[in-house]
Amino acid sequence: MCTLHLIKHKSQSKAYSSSSHKPFFHIQIQESMAIKKLLFASLLICSMIQSSHGATKERLFTDLEKGALEITATPSRTGEGVVLAAGIDKLSITWKVSSTATKEPEFKTIKVKLCYAPISQVDRPWRKTENELFKDKSCPHKISSFSYDPTVKTAQSFDYTLERDIPTGTYYVRAYAVDAKDHEVAFGQSTNADKTTNLFSVQAISGRHKSLDIASVCFSVFSVVALLVFFVNEKRKAKIEQSK
Amino acid sequence: MAPNHSNENGSIGSSLHGVTAREQIFCFSVEDGPSSQAIRSDDPTAKFALPVDSEHRAKVFKPLSFAKPHMRAFHLGWISFFTCFISTFAAAPLVPVIRDNLDLTKTDIGNAGVASVSGAIFSRLAMGAVCDLLGARYGTAFSLMLSAPAVFSMSFVADAGSYLAVRFMIGFCLATFVSCQYWTSVMFTGKIIGLVNGCAGGWGDMGGGVTQLLMPMVFHVIKLTGATPFSAWRFAFFIPGFLQIIMGILVLTLGQDLPDGNLSTLQKSGQVSKDKFSKVFWFAVKNYRTWILFVLYGFSMGVELTINNVISGYFYDRFNLTLHTAGIVAASFGMANFFARPFGGYASDVAARLFGMRGRLWTLWILQTVGALFCIWLGRASSLPIAILAMMLFSVGTQAACGALFGVAPFVSRRSLGLISGLTGAGGNFGSGVTQLLFFSSSRFSTAEGLSLMGVMAVVCTIPVAFIHFPQWGSMFLRPSQHEERSKEEHYYGGEWTEEEKSLGLHEGSIKFAENSRSERGRKAVLADIPTPETGSPAHV
Repeated sequence: MCTLHLIKHKSQSKAYSSSSHKPFFHIQIQESMAIKKLLFASLLICSMIQSSHGATKERLFTDLEKGALEITATPSRTGEGVVLAAGIDKLSITWKVSSTATKEPEFKTIKVKLCYAPISQVDRPWRKTENELFKDKSCPHKISSFSYDPTVKTAQSFDYTLERDIPTGTYYVRAYAVDAKDHEVAFGQSTNADKTTNLFSVQAISGRHKSLDIASVCFSVFSVVALLVFFVNEKRKAKIEQSK
Repeated sequence: MAPNHSNENGSIGSSLHGVTAREQIFCFSVEDGPSSQAIRSDDPTAKFALPVDSEHRAKVFKPLSFAKPHMRAFHLGWISFFTCFISTFAAAPLVPVIRDNLDLTKTDIGNAGVASVSGAIFSRLAMGAVCDLLGARYGTAFSLMLSAPAVFSMSFVADAGSYLAVRFMIGFCLATFVSCQYWTSVMFTGKIIGLVNGCAGGWGDMGGGVTQLLMPMVFHVIKLTGATPFSAWRFAFFIPGFLQIIMGILVLTLGQDLPDGNLSTLQKSGQVSKDKFSKVFWFAVKNYRTWILFVLYGFSMGVELTINNVISGYFYDRFNLTLHTAGIVAASFGMANFFARPFGGYASDVAARLFGMRGRLWTLWILQTVGALFCIWLGRASSLPIAILAMMLFSVGTQAACGALFGVAPFVSRRSLGLISGLTGAGGNFGSGVTQLLFFSSSRFSTAEGLSLMGVMAVVCTIPVAFIHFPQWGSMFLRPSQHEERSKEEHYYGGEWTEEEKSLGLHEGSIKFAENSRSERGRKAVLADIPTPETGSPAHV
C-alpha cells in the first residue's frame, strides 16, 4: 500500500519536466518528503507499541478453577432498593480458600475486583465479558491485591470504601488467585454462576461542583457581554464617523 | 487578467465565494500580467505590506507573515476555525471517562456524536448571510463567542439528554468554516485563492486531530492537582472555552473585514446591487451537480468528522491502549490535514492543467475511492501497527479528496457559487450524521464492522462523480459536447441568467468568469479560438 502511494507521487512529478514553474516541483518534493516522514514515524510508533504489548494471550476464563475461593461482600447499607453511594459507602469483604480447592499450592497473590453484573453490560460493549482473560472487560475495578499466606486457614475480611471513580451500575465482587507467573489459576465470586444473586447497586458521584458551575456561568456571561460591548461600540463609532 | 467584479461584497453570490475558491486555476502562479500592473492604483497600495491588485486583495501568500490586513486575516481566520474544531470534538477522546460518569450506553454516545455535527448544517448555511451583512470579523466572533457558553456548560451536564444537547449546541460553531473562507476570499486575489483556502481549510481541520491530544493531556494535568476523574473532565472543557473567548477578542481587535477597513465604516461606498436570493437559491437547487457534490462531500468530509468522533474510543477499546496513547493515534488522523488537504487541491489543479475538468473529476474519484478502501481495511485490521498504517493512508486519501472536491465546486455555478459552497459544506455534516447514525449508534455492529461498512458506503457514494457532466468540458467518461452553442463556457454560465437580466448586463461577472474558466479545457485551452467579448476591460480602474 505504501508503494502504491509513492508511485502516484512519482508519476505526477514526471508531468512537470517541461514546466517552468519551479515552485511546484519544490513543494511537491516537500510534500512527498512530508508523507514519507509521516509514514516512517507512524511505523516506528507502531513497532514500539507492539513491542510493549503484553504476551498474555489465549488463557481462558473457563480454564480457571471455579469456586476455589469463597467470597462474600456485604454492603454497609442493605435492603430493598438501596443504592450505595460511591465515595461514602463501604463493602465488607470476607474470603477464604475453599476446602475443595486443588490448585491451592500455586496461589501466590489474591486479587479482588469489582465486576459488572449483566444488566450493567447491556448496550455497553466496552464492558463485555470475554472468555479470553486478556480481552475480558467485565472486571476493571481493582479493590485490593495482597499476597496469599498459606498458613492462615480461617476466613479473613477487610473493608473497602467504594472509590469515587466507580460508575453507576450493578456489581458483584470476584477474587482471582494468581500464581508466581502472574497468571490467574482460580477464582471465586460473591454471586452465583449466572450472576443473579447478591448484587448491589452503586450510584456514582456526579462530578459537579458548585465552584465549577459558578466559574462556568461567569465566563459564559463574560463572553456574551464582551461581544455585545464590541458590537455596540463599533456601531456607535461608525455613526459618529458618518455624521462627520 | 482583470479581477472579477461580481466579487463585490454585498452581492449574495459573493457571500461565500471562494469558499471553494478556485476562481482562477493556477494556484501557484502569481506572475503579474501586464494588465494588472497597469491598473494598480498608486497611493493606497503603497501602504500594504504585500503587493495587491486593484481591489486591494493580496497577490502573494506569505504564510509566515502576520502583516495587516491580509496575512493577519488569514491567520485569525484559520486559527478561529481550528479552535472551533477543537471544541466540537473535545468530548471524543474523553468519552471513556464521560460514559462512566453519565452512565451512557453506546446508543447515547452515538446519538451525541450525530448531534455534534448536525447543528453546523444550519449554521453554515446561515453564516453566509451573516458575513454579507456584518462582515467576516463579526461572523467569526459571533460563532466563537456565542458558542463558548455551550462549551462551559459541560460542567452542568448530568445525564445522556443534557450531554447530547450541549454537544449539539457546541457544534454550531463549525460555521466558522464559512466565515474563514469568506474572509480569505475577500483578502486574496483569485489566482492564489485556491492555495490560501486549501491551507486555511486543511489547517483548521487539524483541530480535530489536535483535540485528541490536547484533551487527554489537560485531563491528566487536572487529575494531578487532586480532582476526581468525574470532575476533571468537566474542568478540562474550560480550556477550549477560554481559547474561543481569546480568539474572539483577537479577531475583533486585530482583524479587519476588508483590505481597506472595517465593513461598518465602509458600508455606504458604491456597492453592487444585491442579487435576488430566490434566484440564487433556485439556480443552486436546480443544478443536479450541486446534489452530487453534497453527497460526495458527505462521504469525504463526513467520514472525516465521524472518524474524529469515534477513532479515539476505537483504539482505546479494541487495542487496550491508554487514554493518552489512543489520543496520540487518533490525533495523527486529524494532523494529516496539514498537508493532505492542500495536496488534494494541488493535485486537482495539476490534473486540470493536463486534462481539464475531466482530470479534476478523475482525481476526485481516485482520491476518495482509495481513501474509502483504506477505511475498509482499517475496520478489518486486527493488529495495532496495521490499523495505524491503514488509518494514515485512509486519512491522506479522504482529506485530499476534500481538497480536490473544492477544485471542482467553483465551476458548477457562478451565480450561486456561495450558496453551492455552503450547501456542499452542509453536506459534509449531513454525511457525518448519517454515517454515525447508521453504523456507530447501536450495538448491531461493532465499531470495527461499522468502519468497514462506512468505507463500503463511501465507495458506493463516490460513484455519482461519474455523472457530473459539463457540456463544455465533458465528464469522466463522456467527451465535451460538439454542439456549437453548448460547447462554450459562456453558454453554461450565461444560462443562469434570464434574457431580461442579460439585457441589463447583470450577467457580466459570469461572462468574465466563463472566459477565465477556459483553462478547464486542459491542454486544449491554448488551442481554443473563441474570441473574448469586447467588455474585456474592467469597469473600475
